[in-house]
Amino acid sequence: MRLTVDGVEHELARPGLATLLHVLREELAVTGPKAGCQQGSCGACTVLVDGAPRRSCLLPAAALDGAEVATVEGLGAAEHLSPLQAAFLEHHGFQCGFCTPGFLVAAHALLERSPAPSRREIEAALGGHTCRCTGYLGIVEAVEAAAEAGGAAR
Amino acid sequence: MRVVGASLPRYDGVAHVTGRSRFVDDVRVPRMLWAKALRSPLHHATLTRLDTSKAAGMKGVHAIVTWQDVPRLVYGPLSGRGVPGDEPLLAKGEVRYEGEPIALVAAEDEATAAEAVEAIDVEYQELPALFDLRLAADPGAPVIHEWGNWYPHFEAEMDVRRIRRGDIAWAFDRADTIVAGVYRPGAVEHAPLEPQVALAVPEADGRLTIHSCTQSLDFSMSVVAAHLELPLNRIRFVGGTVGGGFGGKVDTAADTICALAAIKASRPVKWRWTREEEFLCSSTRAAWHMEIADAVTRDGWILGRRMLTLHDSGAYTRVSPYGVTKHSFHHTGAYTIPNLHFDAYIVYTNRSPTTSMRGYGATSVSFATELHLSRIAEVLGLDPFELRLKNANRVGDTSPNGIAYTDPSTVPTILEIARAIGHELPAEYRAMTAEPRSGDLLPEHLVEQLGVVRR
Amino acid sequence: MALADVEVLVPGSPEEAVSAFGDGRDVLVVAGGTIVMPELSAGRLRPRRAMLLGRAGLAFVVRSDGTVTIGAATPVAALEDGDEPLATAARHLADGEVRAQATLGGNLCAPPWPETPTGDLQAPLLVLEARVRSAGADGERTEPLETFLGQSRDRLLLDVSYDDVPRRTGYAASWRPHAVHRTILAVAAAEREGELRVAATGLAPRAVRLRAVEQSRDPADALVGVDPSDDALASGWYRARQLPGLLEQALAAVAEGAA
Repeated sequence: MRLTVDGVEHELARPGLATLLHVLREELAVTGPKAGCQQGSCGACTVLVDGAPRRSCLLPAAALDGAEVATVEGLGAAEHLSPLQAAFLEHHGFQCGFCTPGFLVAAHALLERSPAPSRREIEAALGGHTCRCTGYLGIVEAVEAAAEAGGAAR
Repeated sequence: MRVVGASLPRYDGVAHVTGRSRFVDDVRVPRMLWAKALRSPLHHATLTRLDTSKAAGMKGVHAIVTWQDVPRLVYGPLSGRGVPGDEPLLAKGEVRYEGEPIALVAAEDEATAAEAVEAIDVEYQELPALFDLRLAADPGAPVIHEWGNWYPHFEAEMDVRRIRRGDIAWAFDRADTIVAGVYRPGAVEHAPLEPQVALAVPEADGRLTIHSCTQSLDFSMSVVAAHLELPLNRIRFVGGTVGGGFGGKVDTAADTICALAAIKASRPVKWRWTREEEFLCSSTRAAWHMEIADAVTRDGWILGRRMLTLHDSGAYTRVSPYGVTKHSFHHTGAYTIPNLHFDAYIVYTNRSPTTSMRGYGATSVSFATELHLSRIAEVLGLDPFELRLKNANRVGDTSPNGIAYTDPSTVPTILEIARAIGHELPAEYRAMTAEPRSGDLLPEHLVEQLGVVRR
Repeated sequence: MALADVEVLVPGSPEEAVSAFGDGRDVLVVAGGTIVMPELSAGRLRPRRAMLLGRAGLAFVVRSDGTVTIGAATPVAALEDGDEPLATAARHLADGEVRAQATLGGNLCAPPWPETPTGDLQAPLLVLEARVRSAGADGERTEPLETFLGQSRDRLLLDVSYDDVPRRTGYAASWRPHAVHRTILAVAAAEREGELRVAATGLAPRAVRLRAVEQSRDPADALVGVDPSDDALASGWYRARQLPGLLEQALAAVAEGAA
C-alpha cells in the first residue's frame, strides 16, 4: 500500500491489521506521534489523515491506502517553527512534552478550519486530549495566541 | 548576571514542540528484542509451579528471566540507609499483589513475547487477601509478610514512627472540648501520559546502557547495580526526558528486570508497559487512615493533638518509611501545637506497592489538618481564619521533629487569602505577623507551654 | 501471531462485504475500529482474518419514502445534526476525533456493558423503533433493533432504518467528565401519535426499553424489571438513584414537544 507521511511517499508491505500508529513509529521511524494508551482515550497519537485529526492508534493502516498523513513533525522544524509551535513555547503549552504532538496536530487542524476560534471552540476541539502536567490553561492560551499570530500557517 | 532573574527558554522546548524529543520508546537500536511480563493474576497466592522451559523453546524467544536469574534478589531502595528490603525483583514462591512480575520474556516482537508468556507453565494456590488496612492487626487477618502486617524496622527496631512532646494528658484535661475526626484519602494513580518503559543495551565493551524514564538517574543506577551485582562503572544510564512522573517513576520498576533480560539474551531489550499495566501494577500514592483528636479551648487554642496514622504501603515497603517519617514531621501542618502524641504505622495490604507522589507524606496530613481545623472552627463557632491565625506557626516555633521555623509563611498567607476574597477580619488579626507571639494575645497557660517571652 | 500477519479483506460493495462475512465465524469485522482496535492492540482479540468496512459503500444517510436509512459504516459525526434523540447521543460520544471515525454499526454491536465503550446509540434508536437489516449464516433479514440486540453476535449489520415521522423526543444523561465522554446512564424517549417509547443505556448489558414507564409515564416505575449493577464508572446504587431524575428530564422534554 502507499502512504504519504509529512510529504514523503512510502510504499509499504501489506500491514495486516497493524495500526497507523504502529506503522508510523515502528516501520517508518516517525516517532513524533506517541503511544499513550493504545485505546484512543488520550490523544497523544493524533495525526492528520487527509487533513482531518484522527487517533492513529485506532486506525488500521490497511484502511488508508493512498492517504496523506501529517504528523507533528510536519508542522515545522527548529529552524522554522510554525506560529502554533512558537506560541506553545511562549505560553507554556507543555511540561513533559509527551501529549504535545497530539495537541499540536489537533490545534493545527482547528485553526485551519476555524482561524479565530473562541475559547469554547478550542476546548471542544481539544477536549479529547489528556494532559497530566499543565492543567490545560497554558495550552488553551497558546492556541489563542497562535490564532492571533497567523493561525495554521506553517 | 545574565541568567539569574532572567526568563530563559527551556533547553528542550524546541524539541518538544517539533515532536522530536526522544522519549525512551522513541529510541531504536539495531537487533532490539521486545519484552512482555508474566504477572500474577491473583492478589495473594503461593506459586506452586513455575516452569519456563516450554516457553523458552518457542520460536523467536531469546530469553526468559525469573527469580533464579537475579544475582541479588531482594534489595530495598532504602538499603543504603540500613533499611532491609522485602521485595524480590521477580516473585519467588509467593505473590502479594495482582500484577506482581514473575517472569520477563524477551522475543523478536511483542506478539511472540506475549504468546510465550501465556506458554509459561505456572500454578497458584490462592491465599486470602487483605485490602482494608484497618483490619491488618485483626487476629484472623491474612498475613502478608513473615514479620506480620506492619513494618518493623524503624530506628531501634520499633514498629511505629512515634513523636511525643510535652504533656498530652494535661492538654486533654485542660481542654474545654475535644474535637475528633477520621480522614481517609484514597490511593491515587499517577497516570503519566508516558507509560513505564526501559531499553537495556549490552555494549561491545561489556558495559550496559540503559535508556530509562526514571526521575532519578543516579538512584536507579544504584538499584540496578545492586540487584545485578555490577560495579557502577559498568552501567551507563541515559535519560532525563520523562513523559510525566509525579513521583511514580522513582521506583525503578522496569530498568532492572529489563537489564537482566538483555544480559541473558545478549541483545538489546525494550520493555514497555501498556496503559492497563500502568493502572494495574504501577505504584500509586498511598491510601491513608488518619485519626486526629485535638484538645481545644473554647476560644480556639489547640493545646494538644493525639494522632494515629495508618499508611497503606501495599504489598511491599519500598520507600514508605521515608514518606511516613516526613508525614510525622509535618503532622501539625502549618500550625504549632505544644503537646503531641503521634503514632504512625506502615501497614501492608495486598494492593500495588505504594510510593511517592508530589509532596510525599505531607499532602495527606495537610489535607487532614486543614479539614480538621475547619471542623474545630465549626464546633466552636469560630471564624476559620481567626482560628488558623491564632495557632499558626511563628518564628521560633518548632516543627514536630524539633526544627525551629525561621520564616514560616502561615500568617502572611492566610491574611493574603482573607484580603483576596474579601473576608473581613478584626484589627488584631489583621495586625498579626509571623514574628514570635506577643504575650498580650496569649493566654497564660500557653505562655509557658510555648516558651514565649512576654513583651 | 502479530497484527501484521492478519489476513485483511477490504470489500468494495455491500454485496462483497456480505460474501466475505459468510457465517461470521472466521472473520473479524472492523468498521470505524474505535472499539475493536484497542482489543487487537492489547492482544485480547486474535483473529486470523479481518474485514474492513470503510470502502464497502455502507456509509450513507438516506431519506426516502417516509423512511430514514443509515448505513452501518456511517460515522457517528454524520449523525450529530440529524434526528433526535439520536443526534444528542451522537454529539456526546467520546470526542470529535473518535466520533469522526466511530460508526453507527460498531456502536450497535458494541460489547455488552459493563465492558466499555457502551453502545450509546442503542437507546435512541430503540425509541425511534428502528429496524436492523443484517446478513449472516441464515441469509439476510430485517428485524426490530430490540430483537437484534438480544441475539448472538454472528450477524453483519448492513443498515438501520426508522419511520421518518414527527416525534416529540427527550434525552437526558449523566457522563463521567473526562476528556473522552463515558456515559454512566442515559435515558432516551420519543412519542409519536400518543405512543411513548422509553429506553435506557447503562442499566443492562445492552440498552433496554423501560416498558413500565412507557405505560404509566411515571418515573417512579423506573426500576421495574431492571437491576443496575456496578462498573468502573459508577455503582448500581448510584445509577438506581439517578434514573428517576433523568427520566423526569427526558419525559418533560417530550411533554414540551421538543422534536
